[in-house]
Amino acid sequence: MNDQILIEKAKESLKDKVLEITNPAPRRLFMKVAVGNLLEAVNWLKKEMGFSHLSTISGVDLGQSFEILYHFANNFCSFTLRTEISRENPLLPSICALIPGAILYERELQEMFGITVQNIPDPRPLLLPDNWPAGNYPLRKDWKYERPAEVIPGGKK
Amino acid sequence: MNFQIPIGPQHPALKEPIGLRVVVEGEIIRDADLRLGYNHRGIEKLAESKTWIQNIYLEERICGICSHSHTTCYVQGVEKLMEIQPPKRGLYIRTLVAELERIHSHLLWLGVAGHEAGFDSFFMYVWRDREIVMDILETISGNRVHYANNTIGGVRRDLDELQVKHILDSLEILRKRSEFYKNLGTKEPSFVARLAGVGYLSKEDAITLCAVGPTLRASGVPMDVRKDDPYAVYDEVPFEVCTADTCDVLGRTVVRIKEILESYNIIEFLLKNLPAGPIAVRAPRRPKPNEVISRYEAPRGELIYYIKSNGTEKPERIKVRAPTLGNYAATIKMLKKGFIADVPLIFAAIDPCIACAERAVAIVDARTGQEKVVPMNILRQSSQKKSANKERKREVEWPL
Repeated sequence: MNDQILIEKAKESLKDKVLEITNPAPRRLFMKVAVGNLLEAVNWLKKEMGFSHLSTISGVDLGQSFEILYHFANNFCSFTLRTEISRENPLLPSICALIPGAILYERELQEMFGITVQNIPDPRPLLLPDNWPAGNYPLRKDWKYERPAEVIPGGKK
Repeated sequence: MNFQIPIGPQHPALKEPIGLRVVVEGEIIRDADLRLGYNHRGIEKLAESKTWIQNIYLEERICGICSHSHTTCYVQGVEKLMEIQPPKRGLYIRTLVAELERIHSHLLWLGVAGHEAGFDSFFMYVWRDREIVMDILETISGNRVHYANNTIGGVRRDLDELQVKHILDSLEILRKRSEFYKNLGTKEPSFVARLAGVGYLSKEDAITLCAVGPTLRASGVPMDVRKDDPYAVYDEVPFEVCTADTCDVLGRTVVRIKEILESYNIIEFLLKNLPAGPIAVRAPRRPKPNEVISRYEAPRGELIYYIKSNGTEKPERIKVRAPTLGNYAATIKMLKKGFIADVPLIFAAIDPCIACAERAVAIVDARTGQEKVVPMNILRQSSQKKSANKERKREVEWPL
């Protein structure tokens, strides 16, 4: 299955739901869909194209919005599905029903970007410490780390 | 009953050390839960404030065992962003170090497997031979752990005739000994009996839970990035994807032994066909704004980098997914319906880079709520006790 056939099949099955599809390098495909069509696209990839392996999910802070990239792979190609959600209302549907292996990546996304993943089977925090202050999302571009002032026990007040 | 395994928060080898909470009924595990992040170092955030060159050495420090995997995956992505092609000789040396690293990592794992199964002489033999690989890596790069051999546009150190001869000579010793271990495994029924049937992960589960590397291949799925998505010079090197279909820890052992033997062949091929010429090209300081996905078959499985540039000296975003994280979901599945005594073995079988730390386990009785802390070595002893009176299968076949 080469890249061109995949592009044609994507346009044929998903029609105008495909916002953009590019093939910047051999075995690399990037397809953009609206967030409302995400589950349909994942379902199509898994059931019809055999992309059952999700490598990971990456989030990128674009300033006004967040870009979410789902990196799928099979024996022939690495297929990246991308979608954009607004910063004011960061809601994303969970794909765990289709790809159970996505759970850890979605939990990571929630913590690092403050995105709410809807219908996630397990929304607990995963990586950050238990006493992490609420509303701090480290991978957002406007988040800066400030080292807390050092307090020497028994030192000067 | 509940129990929790905090594994080395300060262990340098893992990007994501793991807290595990296991619900057990008697000896049988009913449920398992994960809590990661004890050693989350914020490398992805930090990488955004470093230059492209500085990031090579930062990514190298993600892992203390597959350090070359991380740098290779990173630099080959950056090379695509900068639109440069490293010279052939550079790529050959890069692949050579990658395969040596695979051997050293798999030998390390084999030793750990022997240790967890109570076969300590095997552990010591294998680790003695691992020193040979470490010595080779030291002669190539000057370092035993962080080789720092990669740079954007090629590699940093060349090989000379004497080094090639030394590697080939050492390889002969290694090959002979590895064959011996393969045979030893065949005639060691207690070892095979301990591993067979432990940590079962069916083919369907391995696929749906997105397992990677030897864990996936031991469930009969022939997925190997080196074959599926050839990088460096893997499209020129003849090799086979090693699989097993027993879906258990024995299968994972078999896959790794096969891969070691396959790696010897790859190294021999690389050294005998080493092209002459330069080892690196000059790289520009800034790539154009673009994005790239770089995939790499690390010893533990698929490693993936998503790199985005914005035209400056620093990257916009670097996303790293190390293979161990990909295997955690599958590990939980493997632990379920297993025995407490099998936890170290199952856990070691995904090769989570943990070899030496003394790990404490807190066991909480679900009925009484009592909690007691059990060190990992006591747990290992109970694991050995469990299999001490197990029926020995004579003349069992090692499915190699």
